[in-house]
Amino acid sequence: MNAKLLEIEGLSAGYGAVPVLRGIALHVAAGEIVTLVGSNGAGKTTLLRAISRTLASRGRIRFDGRDLGALSPEAVFALGLVQVPEGRQLFARMSVEENLQMGAYLRRDAAGIARSFERVYRLFPVLFERRRQKAGSLSGGEQQMCAMGRALMAAPRLLVVDEMSLGLAPVVVDQLLGVLAEIRGEGVTILLVEQDVFAAFSVADRGYVLETGRIVREGKVSELAADPEVRRAYLGVAEAG
Amino acid sequence: MLFAQILVNGVLLGGLYGLMALGMALVWGVLNIVNLAHGALIMLGGYAVYFLFTGAGIDPFAALPMAMTGMFCFGYLLQRLLLNLIVRSALLNTLLISFGLDVVLTYVAQWAFTADFRAINPSYAGANITLAGITVPLARLAAFAVALLLAGLLWLLLNRTRLGRAIRATAQNLVAARLYGVEPRQLYAVTFGIGAALAGAAGGLYGVVAQITPYVGTSLTAKSFVIAIIGGLDNPLSVVLGGLVIGIAESAASLYLGPTYADVISFGLLVLILVARPARSLRMA
Repeated sequence: MNAKLLEIEGLSAGYGAVPVLRGIALHVAAGEIVTLVGSNGAGKTTLLRAISRTLASRGRIRFDGRDLGALSPEAVFALGLVQVPEGRQLFARMSVEENLQMGAYLRRDAAGIARSFERVYRLFPVLFERRRQKAGSLSGGEQQMCAMGRALMAAPRLLVVDEMSLGLAPVVVDQLLGVLAEIRGEGVTILLVEQDVFAAFSVADRGYVLETGRIVREGKVSELAADPEVRRAYLGVAEAG
Repeated sequence: MLFAQILVNGVLLGGLYGLMALGMALVWGVLNIVNLAHGALIMLGGYAVYFLFTGAGIDPFAALPMAMTGMFCFGYLLQRLLLNLIVRSALLNTLLISFGLDVVLTYVAQWAFTADFRAINPSYAGANITLAGITVPLARLAAFAVALLLAGLLWLLLNRTRLGRAIRATAQNLVAARLYGVEPRQLYAVTFGIGAALAGAAGGLYGVVAQITPYVGTSLTAKSFVIAIIGGLDNPLSVVLGGLVIGIAESAASLYLGPTYADVISFGLLVLILVARPARSLRMA
């Protein structure tokens, strides 16, 4: 399980003349859950845009050994690098089932799609119950499940989950974190981008801390959680003495 | 009895109105283009069926699929080569370019076909059936049936096929649709082609029940616009319902108030509905 599925070296990117990311190095091994944490404006979204190739960048991004630099966003998606976008971005006036079908839009293998449906409905039984309901009528947590289910319908190899916990109750976040672990158990590698550091550390194997466009800490989440600087800045823990 | 006759006239007319508006509502909802050249596309479809009938002796109803195919190709190319430049851009851009297109198509039609009134007159054009004292012109009845059939087919396409799902998904959330592999430019061209094909069918039927000139497009655009707003941009069946409302209102108005009041009534209704239910009526697909 040590093969590097996603490997980023010396990545810089920005908007116009404004640099946002400088010299990012990051990797995700197959089967891992890796989290990228940082506060608002740290550059998390910019990094995701560079990975999905919707934003030009310098440096090297390799996915499963292939250089993504010259690829279109569609080609990156077709390789199995699939995003659950921030804010869910559901098709609000389509049914849950149709939203899931859209995740499999580019797939033509009917049997494989049927298996993916089974998997999604097993992971999220509530989506099966509500499959005829309009996605816009779901609760926030159910909408996030629908967005994750839709991404799974694309048969991802690396699932990039952007701000999963945003606007959700802690109990719902806990439930979703449990599902993430299950998804990993089914052989899908996960990159979890989060502001909720506490939630992210509870499920991830390793983490990266992004601050003003640079990776300032990296390591096992147990090490990061013990790091006084990380504790002070992100976990809201004041050190005694 | 007179009222029943008006109702029947209005329903038959309204079905055709609904078909006219279908293509406009589809393009508006998915591409966010208020296509001011929609009536001109209807007009072109009318001429296509007219010349297939008078030139090649093909029955107008049999000529409809041919005219629709031609209009689909025309619409597809128009979107690919021209309208993709302004798709989902500011409303003013779409209005300007489609208005320009309307002017060009109208004057090309005038140059190519002359300004003469043309009517498509198959042998059964004057035939009627009378039921319980109500006269039903056969050609209008057939036009109504075709309009309903096409609306039903469009509903099936949008709700039961992979293509239709992608069209609706793109209309609702372009970012997410692209994220999952929908290629919008191709999809927009297909959507506009379908809109043009529906306009072409409406034009052919219009030529059977009324007369075509190069200038007929402007008023048909206005009518389609009103119906698209009343019916909403989401559901083809509610667009047809909007057509029926306008058809019945117009035929009642022309009898009780005089034919010149027909347009006053349809735009008056639009204003009333916008005042009463602005949120639902203006919700963009």
